[in-house]
This record gives sequence, C-alpha cells and structure tokens, in this order.
Amino acid sequence: MKPAQFDYLRPGSLAEAIEALGANPDSKVLAGGQSLIPMMNMRLARPSALVDIGRIDGLAGISANGSLRVGATTRQAEVLADATVQRRWPLITAALRHVGHPATRARGTFGGSIAHAEPAAELPAAMLALDAAFTVHRPGGTRTVAATDFFLGHYTTVLAEDELLGHVDVPALGGSHWAFAEVARRHGDYALTGVAVRLTPDADGVVTDARVALFAVSSRPVRSAAAERLLVGTRVGDAEAATAAGKVALDDIEVAEDSFVSATYRTEATAAIVRRALLEAATNPKGEN
Amino acid sequence: METRQGNVAVEMTVNGEPMVGIAEPRTLLSDFLRHGLGMTGTHVGCEQGVCGACTVLIDGQPARSCLTFAVQAEGCRVDTVEGMAEGGALSDVQEAFRAEHGLQCGFCTPGFLAATEALLAENPDPTDDEIRDYLSGNICRCTGYQGIIAAVRRAAQTRKAASA
Amino acid sequence: MTIEDTRPRSARYVGRSVQRVEDPRLLSGQGRYVDDITLPGMLHAAFVRSPHARARILNIDASDALALDGVVAVYTAADLAWLNPMVATGPMRDGILAHSRTPLATDVVRHVGDPVAVVLARSPYLAEDGRDLVDVEYEPLEPVLDPLAALEPDSPLVDEALGTNNISHLEESAGDVERAFAEADHVTRLRFHSGRSTAAPIECRGVVAKYEDRAGGRYTIWASTQMPHLLRMFVAPVLGVPEGRVTISSPDVGGAFGLKCTVFPEDVVIPAVAKLSGRPVKWIEDRWENLAAGVHSKDMICTMEIAAKADGTMTAFRGHFVTDSGAFSSIPFTPLVDSQCAGIYLTSCYDVRDVAYSVDNPLTNKCQIGAVRGVGWVPGQLAREVAIDQLARELGKDPVELRLQNMIGPDVYTTAFGQTYDGGSYAEALEKARDAVDYASFRERQAKAREEGRYIGVGFSPFVEPTGWATASAAAGGLPNGYYDTASVTVEPDGSVTVTTGLHSHGQGHETTLAQVTADELGVPMESVRVVFGDTDSSVFGMGTYASRSAVLGFGSIRESAGQVRDRLLRLAAILLEADPGDVELVDGVAGVKGVPGKTVPLQQIALFGYFGGTARPEDVQRDALTATSGYSPGETYANGCAAAVVEVDVETGLVEVEQLVAVEDCGVQLNPTIVKGQVAGAIANGIGVALLEDLVYEDNGEFVSGSLLHYLYPSTTEVPELDLLTIETPSAVSVGGVKGVGEAGTISAPAAIVNAIADALSPFGVVIDRTPVTPEYLRRKLRDAERIREAS
Repeated sequence: MKPAQFDYLRPGSLAEAIEALGANPDSKVLAGGQSLIPMMNMRLARPSALVDIGRIDGLAGISANGSLRVGATTRQAEVLADATVQRRWPLITAALRHVGHPATRARGTFGGSIAHAEPAAELPAAMLALDAAFTVHRPGGTRTVAATDFFLGHYTTVLAEDELLGHVDVPALGGSHWAFAEVARRHGDYALTGVAVRLTPDADGVVTDARVALFAVSSRPVRSAAAERLLVGTRVGDAEAATAAGKVALDDIEVAEDSFVSATYRTEATAAIVRRALLEAATNPKGEN
Repeated sequence: METRQGNVAVEMTVNGEPMVGIAEPRTLLSDFLRHGLGMTGTHVGCEQGVCGACTVLIDGQPARSCLTFAVQAEGCRVDTVEGMAEGGALSDVQEAFRAEHGLQCGFCTPGFLAATEALLAENPDPTDDEIRDYLSGNICRCTGYQGIIAAVRRAAQTRKAASA
Repeated sequence: MTIEDTRPRSARYVGRSVQRVEDPRLLSGQGRYVDDITLPGMLHAAFVRSPHARARILNIDASDALALDGVVAVYTAADLAWLNPMVATGPMRDGILAHSRTPLATDVVRHVGDPVAVVLARSPYLAEDGRDLVDVEYEPLEPVLDPLAALEPDSPLVDEALGTNNISHLEESAGDVERAFAEADHVTRLRFHSGRSTAAPIECRGVVAKYEDRAGGRYTIWASTQMPHLLRMFVAPVLGVPEGRVTISSPDVGGAFGLKCTVFPEDVVIPAVAKLSGRPVKWIEDRWENLAAGVHSKDMICTMEIAAKADGTMTAFRGHFVTDSGAFSSIPFTPLVDSQCAGIYLTSCYDVRDVAYSVDNPLTNKCQIGAVRGVGWVPGQLAREVAIDQLARELGKDPVELRLQNMIGPDVYTTAFGQTYDGGSYAEALEKARDAVDYASFRERQAKAREEGRYIGVGFSPFVEPTGWATASAAAGGLPNGYYDTASVTVEPDGSVTVTTGLHSHGQGHETTLAQVTADELGVPMESVRVVFGDTDSSVFGMGTYASRSAVLGFGSIRESAGQVRDRLLRLAAILLEADPGDVELVDGVAGVKGVPGKTVPLQQIALFGYFGGTARPEDVQRDALTATSGYSPGETYANGCAAAVVEVDVETGLVEVEQLVAVEDCGVQLNPTIVKGQVAGAIANGIGVALLEDLVYEDNGEFVSGSLLHYLYPSTTEVPELDLLTIETPSAVSVGGVKGVGEAGTISAPAAIVNAIADALSPFGVVIDRTPVTPEYLRRKLRDAERIREAS
C-alpha cells in the first residue's frame, strides 16, 4: 500500500511552518508520522503537501520547574524515559506505556498524539485529567487552549488549518492520587475503553477535587462530570464510592459502538475499569512535588 | 524553506557507509532501502505499522521503516540487518537467534534483530516480561516466540559476560 | 509393540538438534524472497478489485489511468479471453461439482476483493495511482452471505452456471448410528460455529513473471508458493502451454501455512500480462489483499451429537458440518479440505464404532476457502472436544477420566471409517498433559480463586492428526488423489552430495533435516550435503510441502534414492579396497573394511572412480553413475498428542489470559527435536489466535471489515506464554524411519483446549461457549444472557 503523491516541505522555523500550512490548504503536519503515515499508505489520507516540523529547533524538549513543559515534537519515548516525569507526573508515564510500541514511541511525538485526536488515544485523556494547557502557534502569535476545550471529535481539534501545537504545559500534580487503566485486546492495541484518574485529597484523605477522564468510549476523550461529582467528599480508595462512580461514569456521555465492541460492552467494561482505577489510585505512589 | 517535489537525491548513512538514492517525497524508507539502495534484508509485511518486520534503527532508535518517508531519514544514520555481521561473522544477537531456533522462515527476523539491538541498548539486562513487553510490537507467525525470547535472553547474557 | 528397526544405519544426525544450515543466510538478510527479485525492464502490477460483495460489472473505463505518466497498460478479462478457464475439480470422487472461473471477473464480481483489472506501471506507487483512476461502473446486487440460507432451494446463486450454491453434499456412516442414538442413556448436542480465519504469513503473496518469445514461447515465473511443481501443473494449461514451457521457481518464502498451496488468479494473470506487455511483471500482494482476497479458512457451522451410556461410554458420534465456502471452490483443495476433514476423522482417538457425518459446502459472496494450517481438523476438534466436555458436565464425570475411559489403545488401530492409525500414545499424551498442568490440585486452586472472585479454568484437547499426506492417507481421508514425492540423490565427482526434492521449505528447516537424513543414509558428513528444492528446472517433480507431509515423504524418498547410490558406492569401494562389499563400511565419508583398521579410501576417490573408472566399474554404475531418483508413497501415518490450557477469565471485561499451555506431541521418530518443538510452538500460537483473536468479518451488506492488522489480530509475545512443550516418540509402524509428520498439531489442538478451559472457568455461570473466536464482546454477551436467565428464575 503506497501513499499518493505529495509535496514535501521542510520549514526551518515555526513561523515558516505556519506560513506553509496557510499557503497549502490541503496540507498536513508531519511530526512522527506514526498515525498519519499508516492512513496515507492506505490512501485514507491524501494531503497534497506535508509540512515536516520534525527538525525545527525549539519545538522539542522537556523542562520542569513548577509545571511540566513538553515541546510538541518531543518523542514519546523521551518523555517515557524522563526521570523527572516518572517521579513527578507518573500518570503521564503510565499512559505512555500503553501508547503503541517502542518503535512507534521512538518516532511518534507527544504533541502529535494530542493533535491527531484519535478517540482511543491515551495521551489526550491524561491531559484532561491533568488540566493541561496547550500553546498553539498561529499567524501573528499564539493562543493557549485548555485541554478540556481542545478536543472536538474524531480526529478533530480546535486547531485551524494554519495552526500548530507548540508545547504542552502540565501543572504540578500537587500530592494527588492518580491511576491509569485501559481494556485492550492485546498489549499496545487501541483501547476498547480507558480512564485516567486524578484525585486531590485534603489532609484527612477526603477527595476535594476529582478528574475522571475517559477515552475510547466516545468520539473524543471526555471527563465524566457525574463520576467526578460523586467522588468529591468520599475517601480515596473507598470501595463503595469507586463502584458507584464506575456505574455513573458514562452518564450523559454518548457511548460509541464499533466493529470490535458494542455500546453495551463499553458501558459495562468502563464501569469496571473506572472502579479498578479508583481503587488503584489509593495505592499508586503519588507524584513527587 | 526546503521543498521537494518529484524525484530527488536523498543521502543517508547506512550501516556506517554514506549512501545516496533517488526518492520521491512519498517513497517509504522501506522501499528506499530495499529497492533504491538494493538492500533487501529489511522486509515489508504490512505497510500499516503493525507487524514490525520492517524495523530498522534510525540514529540508534528503533523505527518502522514503512512508517517513515525516506526524506525524513535524510542525513541520519540508519542501521539494518546487513550491517550486523562483521567480517562474515554473525553478531552475538544473530548467533543467539541461531542457537535458540529463534527463526523459521526468516521473514520477520531482520525486524526482530533490529528491535533486539534497540532493546539491549536501552535495557542490557531485561527480564522475560520486559523482553515480551518490548517485542510485542514485532509479530512472528512461525515460531510462537519461544525461540525468540530465549535468543534475546541468551544475547543479553552473552553481551553482559563479554563486557564484564 | 514390535516394529522393524527402520532407522538409518549410522544414525549420526537424525534425531539430533543440528543447527539449521539456512540460518546464516536468513539471519544476515541474505534470504531471497520474491520481492527481492528484480528483472531489467520490470513493470509493477496493481489489481483493481471489487468493493462489492456481489455486483454486475457494467463498464470499465481505464482511459484516465492510461493517461497517467508511468502507467503502461491496463488489462481486463477481455484482454485475457485467450486463457483457458481455471477449474477446481477437487478430489476424484462423486458428489463434488467442478467449479470453473476466469482469472479476472467478466460480467459479475463475487466477493469484496475479486480482481477485475490489472494495471501495469513503472513503479508500484504509480501502479496504485493508476489503479485509483480505473473507473469501474458496478450494479450492486444482493449478496449471499448466510451459508445456511445459501443452501435453501430459493437462494440466489453465487454462480448461475452451477445451478446450485452447494459444491458438495456428502454423507457417510459406519456401524448403526440410528440404533446407538435410540438406545443411548444420554445424548448431548452442541452447535458450534468455528470462526473465519486465515494463514496471514508475514510475507504476503507475490508473483514475478517474464515471457520469452523464443522457440514457441517460454514463461519463467517466481512465485511465493509451497508447491512449485503443482503450481506449474495448474498454471500451464490455463496459459495454454505445455508444462515444459513453464519454469516455476519458489525462492525463500516468508511463511505460508497453506495460503501458498492454493492456485490463484494472480498466478496466471501475471505471466499472461507479461506476455501481453512484452515486459517482465512483478506483483506483490499488499496486506489488505492478503486478508480479503487470498484464502479464508475454518468457517464452519458444526452440529455435534454424542450418544452415551450412563457410565460414560460414548457409543456414537454424529456430526453435520457446513463450510461457508466463499465465492469459489479453491484450487486444488476445494472447500472440502475443511468440511470433509472435519467429518471423516470424527472419531479421532476414541473407540467409537457407530459414526455418521454429513457435509455441505455452500458458496457465498466471500473470499474462497482454502487449505490453511489444521484445515477442517480444527473445527472438527472444536465440535467434538467441546461436546465431550459438555457430556462430562451433564453426566457429572471428570472430563479427563471420561476421555481416558473411551480412548483407543496404543497399537495399530483401524477406525470405523477405515483409517488405519500406525500406533500412538493417545492415553499417555492426555495423562502427560494432565500431569503437566498439575490437574490433581487444580480444582482446589480453582475453588480458592472463585472465593476471591477470580475465574480460572482448565481444558484438555487430545488429538489425532493425519500426516505424511500421500495417496493412502488421502484415500482414507475421503479426498482420493495421487500424492507422493520424489527425491534425487547425486554424489558429485568430488564426493559432494546434491539432493533435489519436490518438497519445499518455507520455515520448517527441510534444508537441514533432509540433509541430516541424506548424510545418515549415505554415511557422509552433513556439511557435504546440499538440498535443492523450489525450482522446477532443478528439482525432480514433487507435490510440495503442506499437510505435515515433508518429514515422512522426504525421509522415504531420500532413503530409497540414497540407498541405491550407497549400494553403488559400497561396491565401488570394495573394488578399490579389494574387499568383499559385505565387509565395507562407509562412515563420515570414509569407506573402510570391517575389522581391518587402516585400510580406507575416502569418498572423493570412490566418487571419481564412479564417474571416470571406465570398465573397471560395475555395469550398473557405468550406466547410472552416482545418481538415483526415487518416489515414495507411504501408508497412512498419524501423529497424536494433547493440548491442555489453563486460563483466567476476567468476567467484567471478557478478556481471557492464557496462563499455561501444555502441548504434548507424538510425531514418531523425530528428525530434529528442536525443529519439532519450533513447529509445535508456532502452531500453538496460531491456535491461540484462532481461539481468541483472529476473525475475518463481513458486515450484513457484504462489506469486509477485517482488511488490516489492526482488525485481524495476531497473537504477539504478550498473548503467547512460555509453552510447555513435551514429546513422546511412538515410531510409525509403516513409514520409513518411523517418522510421522508435524506442523499443524498445535493449531488443531489448542483452540479446543482453550475453549474448554474458558467454559470450565465460567461453569458457575452456566455459560456455553459455542463459537470461536471467544472475544470480549462475545463473552460479555454470554455472561449477560446467563445473568438474565438466573435473575429471571
């Protein structure tokens, strides 16, 4: 399966990249290519031009002061291997372990997975759970978009055709409990359902703030308002609360059906996975500050 | 800004040797290596990025060459199976695969060899679980993986002993 | 049991895990697979294929494609009208319709992926560009998708010319089945749907062809095939030339598992368009084509009934097997390779004398069914072994004890349908598997797990596998046809040995094992033996490698021909040593006289003498020098064994983890124990896939949705645990060397072991597993239904 023809553009700077995207309406961004190239090989995607941002200086890199900043073209493998991320944002590390395989993580980028917005992708949900913010570059400047506002639907984000994700900012976990779980046919496969969980306790271990971010259940990653509401005021690790949260997790969320599993399956499996994740959150070592 | 359309010369270092071939922007690295440079040791099983048969090393990192355009690897160091044996002698990893019956038809083997080199570079002393986890992105239809896991285990031990 | 010692004389290599001679080249990337072949001026082909399951072709407009720079030609059925039809005649018995097709669709397309046109271009990229521009106008028709509905008299016909959808309805019975069921204390019934899977080797198919217009025209074809000579036999008549004008060369093949022992339209189209275009042509299948338009396998609706006495004695088996045959009867094995193989071997290792089966093979608008690893033995095994576990549960008996109670003994045994097993270890294999999973303590472990809300289960699957496929076994299998194989052994003037064989190696290591056999038979070092196969120009005629036949056929044919050459060598050596031929020994390439140390002559000298010794040589050597060719067609050989699986089922997600998988294999005398283990392991992995993961799915409108490896799921390193591979060696009572075949056993046995283990794990829920693959969606649905029934009661 060979891709259709396209022009290859290699901008030397962010500004050039944005200009190229604007000048070529049917163009796509090429970073790691691990999601885009399979689609191009199957001729499901046929952009007339690819704008390769892989060699633009300053777009890759990890820095952590209070919050974490990951450049969009940082390889997933680099983030996975980063000791600071492992210590302080273990939810990201846990999510990345489920993303593809070593060879795809070596090429695939942190920002690429987020911008591609595959509904079953792990990183977008982790970003929702972590209240991440995305800095988007556009002609004439930048704008910041909260993760909760970023994902619109299947492979669709708020990014305009001439906009480029520049970097991701993730606030400190601040003593939160966290967990990450998914159901997949095989290791590394697209998830059938999955969840990223973050629970912020008070001094007595009572949840004051909860994030339950689901993926692979709908056309985009989504926080479960119902589950989050229920969890506030409960104790971290409380079995009853975990079960109840699992049961309401998909309330008011449109559950997808696909060739592998039905909406009924998804609903039941999600309830189980949310429950398990919430219990696990009590025992996972918290991220350091 | 560089723009490529149609056939252009693409240079890269393959197994330590500078090489140049003709490629369109859409030419996959797998096809570039195999047909552009005549190095047919790297095989193609799906062109969907799933089977891993096309795995090579780009700048020391594992990569599915069917999910990489040749132009993306321009100026990079690419390592393929053809560069593993030195002076006609199989490498320690290749010898381990032979000793443990880690191949049958040989088609997925170059991909597994590249993935194994990447694994041992990252984790010189992997547990069986770590081996299985790392190699879960390479598919073999012949061996049932028994010989492959044993081969990687053996290669790790041999390499550890050699560097001791 | 007494058997004649048929072992090779020096037995220096056979039975040892000699390292493979093919490995150095394969490991260093020097294998030569069909896509590695490049010919000057070569064009690349891409096929235009039907997106519809069933449609009429109204018009094909290739003008836009032809206008594209780099596209050289586009051919359709009209351009290939000079080809003779491809005909599946199948086994030579009554009741099977011959099925004819053209390589490219003429007026109707019959499945998603059915080839309609072929584009030739300067590169594979351009060929696909051209393909995108070929405009085919279709009139979609209502597809026939339900095999049972396809059997109804009023069903639309997949092929109007046939007048029916049913390629074959066969029935056979032995003993008095009606009475056995009427008198039974207990009857258990099971309807089991074995899913649709395929071989999916990592290397897809491929054909390279050139046509040379000299002396009447000659085709040279490189094909990734398991059977070069048979392929030539089927391709030549379609091309309208004698076999002598066709060379087929199968280079290194990246796995086949049966996919590549079918004759495909592409196998004739590519040489044909090489002739039409006057250029060499290469076609390399892509993964979508491989999954959609190669062969499918094992999709079978099985109805299994067992009649039993209250004490657990099984008195009769009755099975009905409907193979969802796809749009064409495949060449050469037809869909009966699935249905017939399920039915006629129904009694397996059980002493059941009253048995009946019937099969139907309805065509449907799907990809054709072909011979794929394990063939119909897989669904047959599933239907029977799952039913036996069901019987055990219904009678309150232990599933292992119930099987042992009904098992045949280890001696030569003739089944009710007339197959003669050549001795085996049926009970021993089951007991060995039972002990390997520590069955004695399993129930306790299972009970404890249940208390913790975890569901583990164990399942057993003892099997008999027909191997060494040759005339006798084919006849006993209800698929009569002549099968045998040939080897040619030559000692060269300097003592090197060349063996050519009609078999083929595509991962099984025959380059090594057949060299082992030859070295032992002749008495020479193995390094001096070269095994040549795969090319009709250089290898004697043979039937190819499939059906676990090569160890048996290889050993037998080589023993025959090597034996003749060895005899000549000994007589020549006797002349040189001035000794009696009866006193001459040939070991490791040196001939000596028994009891006279120091009196030796090396093989190099004997061989030189054999070629150039003039009249000093015996008359037959003067005539035949040092080459002999011999065919071999053995009696029936049957391997046996047992798989046992321990699984854990996550009842909330429906995911199944295989915790332990034991495979006991008895393939008689082993040529190379490591290679045997490799074959079993690979087959087991395939079996795990068949049981849990692999599924080729058509939607209700005939759309094929499993055309990528994201949908068709291979078992990876994390789905195949460390396997317990155990062996028993019961030498065959009939074959040369006592060998039996190996290669498919794990695919036959593992699925039933896993299904039984899942049912065992879920026995508190009363769930009946009645299909493969056992997917999370399916298991959750079953558990949900069972819960609903429980709540209602």
